[in-house]
Amino acid sequence: MSEARKEILKNESGNTEIPVIELRNVNKYFGQSHVLKDISLKIRKGEVVVVIGPSGSGKSTLCRTINRLETIESGEILIDGVPVPMEGKALAALRSQIGMVFQSFNLFAHKNVLDNVILGPVDVLHRHRKQAKEEALQLLARVGVADKAAKVPAQLSGGQQQRVAIARALAMHPKAILFDEPTSALDPEMIGEVLEVMTSLAKDGMTMVVVTHEMNFARRVADRVLFLDGGSIIEENTPEAFFTHPQTQRAQDFLNSIKEH
Amino acid sequence: MIDNKNGDIRQFLFEEPGERTKRTIRIATAVSLVLLAAVLGAVIWQFYRTGQLDAKYWRIFIRWTTWRFLARGLAGTLEAAAMAGVMAFAAGFCLMYGRISRFRWLRALCTALIEFTRGVPTLLFIYFFFLVAPQLGIKLAAFWKISIPVAISACGVVAEVLRSGVNAVPRGQREAAMAIGMRDSHAFFKVIFPQAFRYVVPALISELVIVVKDTTFAYVVNFPDLMQNARVLISNYDALLSTYLVVAVIYILINYLLNKASDAAARRMRNTGTAAAPEMQTGAGEGAGV
Repeated sequence: MSEARKEILKNESGNTEIPVIELRNVNKYFGQSHVLKDISLKIRKGEVVVVIGPSGSGKSTLCRTINRLETIESGEILIDGVPVPMEGKALAALRSQIGMVFQSFNLFAHKNVLDNVILGPVDVLHRHRKQAKEEALQLLARVGVADKAAKVPAQLSGGQQQRVAIARALAMHPKAILFDEPTSALDPEMIGEVLEVMTSLAKDGMTMVVVTHEMNFARRVADRVLFLDGGSIIEENTPEAFFTHPQTQRAQDFLNSIKEH
Repeated sequence: MIDNKNGDIRQFLFEEPGERTKRTIRIATAVSLVLLAAVLGAVIWQFYRTGQLDAKYWRIFIRWTTWRFLARGLAGTLEAAAMAGVMAFAAGFCLMYGRISRFRWLRALCTALIEFTRGVPTLLFIYFFFLVAPQLGIKLAAFWKISIPVAISACGVVAEVLRSGVNAVPRGQREAAMAIGMRDSHAFFKVIFPQAFRYVVPALISELVIVVKDTTFAYVVNFPDLMQNARVLISNYDALLSTYLVVAVIYILINYLLNKASDAAARRMRNTGTAAAPEMQTGAGEGAGV
């Protein structure tokens, strides 16, 4: 994204635009350990935010708090300016508007690929099966697995499964999609095909939060990079600035440790 | 139970035998065959000596009325077992669902009921329905006096088998269902239980075999099942050995077919890719033994 457009986005958000996702002073504990420390964050419509950081830095947890797969102890999370409900029907309705792609794909193992994609639209959004099917086939074509519609997940490679998972998320017409280390469980030769799909989503203007170790992807696709360490956002910058001139020692150390291999 | 693509369980447990081991195996096999033949011979000789093999004890099986009588008993056995199986599954499902519920008192209640039904022998439940229930003014047909207690005694095991299946479904499945906006119960019935059920089909069928065998207590309540009708034949013709032998073969056949069906079901699930979770394949066998 060009700097000029970046400025426009910034200005817009400064005035009227309500962020799609907003975190205000979010704190999260796992027992004694304080895994998210006072996180505040705004993600605008169409923005791609990549979250990086060493393992155990809280980046996955951060991603999972947004649709409340992890609860938080204090602070506020807002979607389109509305606080995420605590439970029940309202929470389920909100989750249906936020897509999620998991590290371990989590395709429904007892359903074939097509049924995986239409389960949400038919069962949750109560759309007509036929209509949902047509759209699902289009989405499967878009992620390049149209020929696998009748297969069950176990018959697919990891890369294919993850692309189906992306189609499943898209089928809900989400306001944003959360990617929780989407390529970490993949064999190296399959990482590319998944990142390619994600790149094209970003180009189409999807709002995305991506937790990843793929630095090249972050560099090419992100509008903003968050560097998390010890549960705090240590650095927040454009990918260009972050990767060429990291501001903190911790970010420098992290980038060096990755470069080594 | 584990007959997956890689061959049977022995290949995981033992090394390929070498020359010496092969010879030991051959000798051991020969010795045990000889011993077995000797024991069998002794048994048959003893039966022959005491006249159990006389034609008069076996002649009744030439008449088709004998077979019709046994067939009626078999029908009774199958009906009672099927009814008990259905009731045990329904009750077991409810107990399992209660035991994983978010309400503590319901969990405690269902856990207690499961432990109670698993701990008490079937015969005690049957005596309750046969002797105690009538005194409480509950009048039931013999069919219910056998099928209900058998179901009660199986439902706790069924609940635990189902629960082990539910626990074996990876956590991510529930999270994925939540993430597309399903609520807890919706995700349970649409995503989690269908998978859990597939994992435990073999264990459930093993429990059904136990239910079939438990219905032999039908004689206590005078329900005409296969065993009861066999007893009638024995008391009329004094044909103890022959009748029990025939009846045993019938029971073995039923349960053999059930186990075959279980294997076929397991194989079909593997072929459609929804293989049982690895830890469940052994767990299933344990559940059956309870």
